[in-house]
Formats: sequence, structure tokens, C-alpha cells
Amino acid sequence: MDLTVYLLDTLVFMGIFALLAMSLNVEYGFTGLGNFGKVAFFMAGAYTYAITAALGWPFYLCLVFAALVAGALGALISLPALRLREDYLAIVTLTFGEILRIIIKAEQGLAGGVWGITIPSAFAGLDLTPRMTAWANVVLVWVIVVGVFVFLQLLINTPYGRVLRGIREDDVAVQVLGKSFVLYKAQALMVGSAIAGVAGGLFAQYLRFIDPYMFLPLVTFLVWVMLILGGPANHWGALIGAVIVEFFNRGSRFLKDYLVLPFDPNNVQFIIFGLLIILLLLYRPYGLFREKPLRTGAEAEVLKWPSSP
Amino acid sequence: MIDTGQILVNSLVTSSLYLLAGTGLTLTFGLSRFPNFAYAELITVGAFCGLLFLAQPGGVFVLALVGAFLVAGLVSASSYSLVFQPLAERKTSLIHLMVASIALGYVLRHTIGEIWGWSAQAYQLMWTVYTIGTVRISSLWIIMIATAVLTAVVLHFFLTRTRTGKAIRAVASNPELASVTGINKQKVILLTWFFGAGLAAVAGVFRAADTRLFPMLGWDILLPIFAVTILGGIGSFYGLIIAALLLGLAENFGVVLLSSIGLSTEYRMAIAFLILITVLIVRPKGLAR
Repeated sequence: MDLTVYLLDTLVFMGIFALLAMSLNVEYGFTGLGNFGKVAFFMAGAYTYAITAALGWPFYLCLVFAALVAGALGALISLPALRLREDYLAIVTLTFGEILRIIIKAEQGLAGGVWGITIPSAFAGLDLTPRMTAWANVVLVWVIVVGVFVFLQLLINTPYGRVLRGIREDDVAVQVLGKSFVLYKAQALMVGSAIAGVAGGLFAQYLRFIDPYMFLPLVTFLVWVMLILGGPANHWGALIGAVIVEFFNRGSRFLKDYLVLPFDPNNVQFIIFGLLIILLLLYRPYGLFREKPLRTGAEAEVLKWPSSP
Repeated sequence: MIDTGQILVNSLVTSSLYLLAGTGLTLTFGLSRFPNFAYAELITVGAFCGLLFLAQPGGVFVLALVGAFLVAGLVSASSYSLVFQPLAERKTSLIHLMVASIALGYVLRHTIGEIWGWSAQAYQLMWTVYTIGTVRISSLWIIMIATAVLTAVVLHFFLTRTRTGKAIRAVASNPELASVTGINKQKVILLTWFFGAGLAAVAGVFRAADTRLFPMLGWDILLPIFAVTILGGIGSFYGLIIAALLLGLAENFGVVLLSSIGLSTEYRMAIAFLILITVLIVRPKGLAR
């Protein structure tokens, strides 16, 4: 196998998972919402992309539509649970992922059911070599990753982002200040799900074939590992977490394919990830990168005062 | 051709499974105040322990049930004292507890996958099938229903007549007050985690005996188990009994309805999901409270 293509392939997957980790960061890291069905919105994006691409839409429209559909689903599915305790949201999102997969599997006419669906490449008309296509995908994915990163960094330092953090700390206090926390939580889930939808669209476009077995709850768990390891409420943490976890994910697959071992590296990997999460939650719940304090204009103003530290 | 008698029997079997599997979840959810997602894997642990004990010389079904009960109970109790109790002592958020339980579930599931592999297996057991009129019922189903009924009756007397049972209810309804009256809270919680997981393991053995066993066995029935737990009202054993009966009926009549209107029977799970969403919108406290 061409080593360059393999490395580029790894970079594409790191970018797609970085998007997922950042989308969970909006929901969990900043707003304090436990979305345990991340894979559902990833899947919604991927299948929306597949279906619209089959209709002959240009790839950027497919991506936008994937974001819209996943975002709308995110807001919709959370509504019954948002007024209730966090555990209800967790159960609803988790089970929604299972239901969406069942629907895709059962409705053969919609997108191929268990047999999967093929997707045209976004770069089909350009007549590129495999290596150049891989480069094009890396650029496409990472331009979007950087765009989303900058957007989210700006978003969390706006008053809007401060309300989200406020909800995480004490949603009743935010309600007292006249902000409807249900509305804000629904919006956070909408933004997070839309980003996951874009990740799904990119995933479908890159692989050019998807089937329901690619969207197991395992994906959600991997995204949680990335965020808890990297550091919730810090987008650098989400990014680095995604890169590290995907690196090990690749490594274990590599071991499985090229070495004969007395154990299955994939099993061992998930046992280690599980234990790692438990140890992190016990001894280092803020992950590798801590949350940064708020940056506002007031900070610079305070430093001008002679009495300030 | 719809055979109402057969559907009722099927419903009872489904309900028995959900009742056994849900009891531990609802009681520990009520006591420890978080849903333990690793419950799915405790069911699976039970199913594979059953396989292990049946393979022993002289391995009979009862031995499989008892062995699975004890092993899963120990796994659950030690997971509580090694993972969840230390987390709770650190005043960890609800989300962290849930994430930890999911992580524990992956550890258990992949350990099972590493030991027994990922392909489906089956118990080497034969069951007699009786035919009463048009209704077919296997001896396994009779044992399942009898076990569920027996469990319900024993638990009823345990929770209302014994000191330990009363202590469990006391801690669930008001932990501080229970501590003040001298109840050893940790001991009560640990005991509930042990017995609850034991019952889940029994459900796992039944499920494996009735169908097949594979590492995703527990995960595949986690959704309906959550649905009955929430429908019945978290922590309520009596609510759970009614909810398990209702969901058993809804699923089995629903499947017939689905196929009669030309939809896939894969939507069986969607029935539980629909009930879950409806309960959350209409009556989030569940039936019992």
C-alpha cells in the first residue's frame, strides 16, 4: 500500500473526528449536556449527504443540507428531555442512535438498507490520481476543521457563549436572569448536531460507500474518549484528543492487519480506552488541557487599575 | 392469521425477561441516582457465565442460573466499590457517572469479546415444546415466567417485611434521613448492586437459552429495559412490574400490527422508543408516582 496515501487517509479521519469532538464540546464541554447519541447525528449527516448526492446535487450543497438535517434532528430529539434531568437526555439520545440505525436498516428503498449505498466523489470530474484525491480530501476536511474551530472559539467568547457556560454551571440562575435555558440548550444541541452532520457528510464523501454498520455506538464512545482525554471546554483539547485517539485507533488496526498476536488489538484497545476514561474521571477529570478563563474587554479594563494584581 | 392466545404467551415471556433484567436497574437507579449503562454488559456477563457453567461436567441449567447470578453480582458490587463509589465521593457530576458506566461497559464487553469471540453461539440445551390448543409453549418459557413471578413475589415480601428490604426503600426515598436512623447506607447500596445484577444475569441466561449469545446480547435489549424503568417510575419495583407487562404486550401486538401494515418487524425496538418518548412528554415521573 502507498504509505503517503495511508498517512493522508489518517489525516482525513483525524479531521472528521476532530469535528465530532468539537461538536460534543459545544454540547457537553460548554453547555453541560450529555449527548450519548453523537453517532446518530453523524449518521444523519452521512445519509443526508448520500441521498442528496445521489440526486446530483453539488457537494457543497449536500454538505450544507447534511448540516441542516442533522441540526434540526438534534434540536427536535432533545426537546422532550431538555426540561428534565440530565439522565433523561442521556437515555433519549443514546436510544435515538439505535432507532435511527434500525430505520436505515429496515427501509431498503431509502438508502440501500443493510447493503449500504455508494456516493459519488466530490472530485470525480477533475480526473485526479488516487494520491491527489487523498490530498484534495485532506485539504477539504482540514479547511472545514479550521473554519469550525475559529467559529467556535469566537462563539464561546461572545455573550452567547457565556450564557452557555452559565447554563452548565447553574441553569436555574441563568433562567432567573431572563434567559430561557431550554431554548439555549436546544440551540447548543442544534449547533453541535449540525457540526456532527458536516462530519458525517465528509465521511460519506470520502469513503464513497456507507452502510449502517459503520455507525455503531462505538463511534459515540470514541468521541467521548477524545473529549475527556483532551479536556472538555477547551477546543485545543478536543482537537488534540481526536488526533491522539485516532492515532491509537489506526495503530491497533495496523497491528491487527500486519502482526500475528495472541490477542485481538481491537479488543485490547477498547479495554484500555475504557479503563483510561475511568482513571481520568477519577484522577484528572479536566483532561490534558484545562478550560481557559473568559476573555472579555473587561479583563483589559481591570488591569489598568492600579490596585489590580 | 392472528392467534391472540399465542401473542399473549409471547408477551408474558417478553415481560418476564424485562422484569428480571429491569429490577436491578430500577433499584440501583433509584438508590445511586444515575443510570448504570454497564447494566447491558452485566446481562451479557450472565449469559456467558451460563455458557461456562453448562460446559462443566454435570452442568445443569439451574447451576448456570446460580453461577451467573453470583458472578455478575460480584462484578457489579466490585464495580460499585472500585469505580462508582469513589466517583460519588468526589462529588462527580451525573454526566461523569454515566460516562464512567459506559466506559465500564466497554471494558466488560470487549473482555467478553476477547475471551469468547464476537460470533454468535448457543447453549447445547433442548426444551420440550407443549401444544395447548393452538398455543405453543416451551418448557424454557414456563421456567422463565415462573422465575419472574417468583421473583416478584419474593421481592415484594423482601421489600416490605424484612429489615434489609425496608432499609433499601428508606435509602431510596431519603438517604440523609436513612443515615440518621442508623442505616448503613453503603452496605445497603452494595447489597442492591449485588442482587440487582444477579437478577440481570439470570435474565441474560434466559435470553441466551431462548435465542443465541454474543457480546452485544445485553446492549440489544438495553433500550426496552430503560423504557420499562422510566415507564414504571425510576426506583419503583411495582411500577416496573406493570411497565414490563405493558411493554411486553405492546411489543408483541405491535409486531403483528407492523407486519399487517407492511412495515419491517425490525421496528420492534421502535415501539419501546416511542413509549419512552411519550412517557417523557406526558408523564416523566412514570406510572408509579
